[in-house]
Amino acid sequence: MQFRRRQVLGFTIAAPVALKFSPALAADRADVSREVVLMWHRLILELVRHTATYVPPVAARAFAYIGITAHEALASGDGRLVSLAGQLNGLAPLPARADGAFDAPCVLHAALQGAVAELFGNTGPTGQRAIQAMGRKMGETASAGIDAAVVERSVAHGAAVAGHILAWARGDGGAVIENMGFPMEYTPGTRPQDWVPTNLIRLQQAPLLPQWAGCRTFAIPAADACDAPPHPAYDEVAGSAFHDHAREVHEIGRGLTDEQKLIARFWSDDPMLTPTPAGHWIAIVLQIAERDALPVEVISATLAKLGVAQADAFISCWSTKFKYNLLRPVTYIRRHIDPAWEPLLITPPFPEYTSGHSTQSGAASTVLAAMLGEDFAFDDETHVDEGLPVRSFPSFAAAAEEAAVSRLYGGIHFRFGNEAGLVQGRQVGAFAAALRTEA
Amino acid sequence: MRALVLLALASPAMAEPVVPVFTEETVPSGLATSFEGDWEYMVGGGVATFDCSGDGKPEVFLSGGVGLSALYVNRSPVGGALAFENTGALELDAVLGAYPLDVDSDGIMDLVVLRLGENRVMRGLGDCRFEQSAWGFDGGDAWSTAFAAIWERGQTWPTLAVGNYVDRKEEAFPWGSCTDNWLHRPGPDGQGFAPPIPLTPSFCALSMIFTDWNRSGQPALRVSNDREYYKGGQEQLWHLDPGAAPRLYTEAEGWKRLRIWGMGIAAADVNRDGFQDYFLTSMADNKLQFLKDPATGLPDYADLAFKSGVTAHRPYTGGDFKPSTAWHPQFADVNNDGWLDLFVAKGNVAKMPDFAAEDPNNLLLGQPDGVFVEAGDRAGVASMGIARGAQVVDLNLDGLLDLVVVNRWAPAQVWRQTGTPGGTWVQVRLQQDGANRDAIGAVVEVRRGAVVERHEIAAGGGHASGSVGWLHYGLGEADSAELRVIWPDGTEGAWQTLPAGSFQILRPDAPAEAWLPQ
Repeated sequence: MQFRRRQVLGFTIAAPVALKFSPALAADRADVSREVVLMWHRLILELVRHTATYVPPVAARAFAYIGITAHEALASGDGRLVSLAGQLNGLAPLPARADGAFDAPCVLHAALQGAVAELFGNTGPTGQRAIQAMGRKMGETASAGIDAAVVERSVAHGAAVAGHILAWARGDGGAVIENMGFPMEYTPGTRPQDWVPTNLIRLQQAPLLPQWAGCRTFAIPAADACDAPPHPAYDEVAGSAFHDHAREVHEIGRGLTDEQKLIARFWSDDPMLTPTPAGHWIAIVLQIAERDALPVEVISATLAKLGVAQADAFISCWSTKFKYNLLRPVTYIRRHIDPAWEPLLITPPFPEYTSGHSTQSGAASTVLAAMLGEDFAFDDETHVDEGLPVRSFPSFAAAAEEAAVSRLYGGIHFRFGNEAGLVQGRQVGAFAAALRTEA
Repeated sequence: MRALVLLALASPAMAEPVVPVFTEETVPSGLATSFEGDWEYMVGGGVATFDCSGDGKPEVFLSGGVGLSALYVNRSPVGGALAFENTGALELDAVLGAYPLDVDSDGIMDLVVLRLGENRVMRGLGDCRFEQSAWGFDGGDAWSTAFAAIWERGQTWPTLAVGNYVDRKEEAFPWGSCTDNWLHRPGPDGQGFAPPIPLTPSFCALSMIFTDWNRSGQPALRVSNDREYYKGGQEQLWHLDPGAAPRLYTEAEGWKRLRIWGMGIAAADVNRDGFQDYFLTSMADNKLQFLKDPATGLPDYADLAFKSGVTAHRPYTGGDFKPSTAWHPQFADVNNDGWLDLFVAKGNVAKMPDFAAEDPNNLLLGQPDGVFVEAGDRAGVASMGIARGAQVVDLNLDGLLDLVVVNRWAPAQVWRQTGTPGGTWVQVRLQQDGANRDAIGAVVEVRRGAVVERHEIAAGGGHASGSVGWLHYGLGEADSAELRVIWPDGTEGAWQTLPAGSFQILRPDAPAEAWLPQ
């Protein structure tokens, strides 16, 4: 770990705090705030995994709104922080605090509780039970030892912050997800290079969220603002550039090393089985925040910018995907190279170009490098619970590049889709990185 | 190879399968038990059918959740309206499911009861009376949601597998808290049970079944797990070699990772290739697995649910077209046309807004070309109750299969089949002396022209629901059935020709004994 424990963005780094429910000490409200943010996010990662509509673009959207909520809850009472209102598309100024004293952990808790309750209102009975339990326990933690009037005032303000952001969120075009994101009807393209379903799951005979590019963007000016250039010209002739790219996927897939298999599975980040690609990067931030005791202001600003970058990355990527509507490697390879070929990973049910994971990883790495440093080494233990080992990276960029190439190892993307995705994502991420969160 | 089999089954001109007609008789029949309870009862809700009165007709045991379970004795006249009488026996709380099993092989049916808390093995005393057994069974303290049983080779006492679910004490972070499944093997003297062996890793099992998937003569334990709660989990297949510790089939042995919301298993030789096929219930798409190539010896399955028309991924009637939630599956020839049909109980977990609230049960009718057609609504069983467990069983011994379904927060429903049958039938009951009286683990082979349909006799599978009793086979237009039994010890019985429309008791090395329902 190369992180230097001194100051990040002007905020002094606190002592490490274990992630557990513990009585808050009134003298150390910053640590309590950190605990509130980290514990709610730990739950949110689980809710993303266990809520049926939380496919990757939808998950990224939720992470963005929740990160923004945390930042705004703090910014409303801290002159060192700058609100994102006016910087993010359509976000009007947040409610001002009333007169009187406020407690930051209570404001944070109420804001996050309100945001989670609505954004995950459709989660199942276990998720609802967990939200209730977390609300109860974090409420007790945040309010322990705090004057009741201050708690009441703070909770009301936190709820108002959440309400403002949720009202903004409802109008972005992505609030309602039906049929787990798959259209009930779909007319496939007729060109030979057009995407076709790649599995025998009845629900997935239409592509995921074909209208997602119509969602309001957060920081980029429009969905197509960072569009990727055209992919190599489609060609079925052996020796053509396109055919060579497909042959590369096929050959790599047939000769995968154990390390390549591990990389593919580490970044697979399947919806319903993991917190999705966006959640993977959120988990990385939470791990760093815990290990290095980042100040809550830094955590919240990082989560907000990261969320914005990833949400915009998916909108941008989906705009490109449905512009080109390119088939997946498995389709091309089975048609033209090897009818019996099986990729290592399950091919996602939507067009290939550009790679979603590559795009959002490019965006995420750009934001994190801007926030925490270009050569910030870190360990990633996101999937330890799943039985996958910890992986170490010298920088966020290196992690993003591995995430991108993992899709080639997994047999679900061409190399050009990954590389163009990374470039696209970095462009998207630059918009989020440029957001001002400090005075 | 599979495609060839399907082609071989195809007929040049197929008629629409005969749609059976069911009449709901819940209220007049006297069944009045609901599966009640909140979060801890979102899964389970099983029904067991078995004869404990000695008249050959199946009694009905219904789970009650936080309410009391109930055992209903079957008073239905043969071929007549369904009638049940609550015995007042087996009134237990926290019951999630149950499976009948003559554990001590005394010829009187016992009942394994899965509970939230301590499981029970209830010893049958005759006349539908039961007592807590004293067989050293450790019922544990878990959220038990799956069961299977087998007599391992050379054993006179059964091995019980119990599947357990989430650590119910976890509130904020229950995910990843799957508790151990258990294997209760016979005690050292061959009587009673030894302390249970944990089947680690366990991934929140909701169904399990012993099955001789590769016809090796050595059953394995197939487990379907709920991906909602496990981390690092998948569907499982366990080796269960006699005297050896259970061990998982591995990727190196050909096992392919599959992660679904596994809720129920139905096994049958759907395509008549002599190997068991498996229908796995889940949320949205369900799976129908066929062994890709038996010659390889690898447990590598192809999912042909889409091709076979049994994805059953969304409601087909009622106007709610959100994805479905499927629980108990069961293969049976409901219309007696000689082709296996598939019943699937459906119901939302609990007001999950992204899944259908009005989720009708499926009755998918098999056809010669291997493609099933939906007939639940036309048959009259498309209930919108929040279904869980079920049994497709001949309750009034008229040769037509009836249906009982457990519902969450509402009374269980029962339907009598009342229409004109689409063919003839035969029903057999396996009986052998000594241990394992009901021949669990046997195989009934039914010859249909040039092919042989192979039926494993299992205790387990489904969703928290099981049955021991008459085994029903539809015969289509045939006036007799040609079948034989391969007994659990591997002894191959002789092929027998049994008249259609009859009940027959089959014993090793003995001619079939006709039986008349009274």
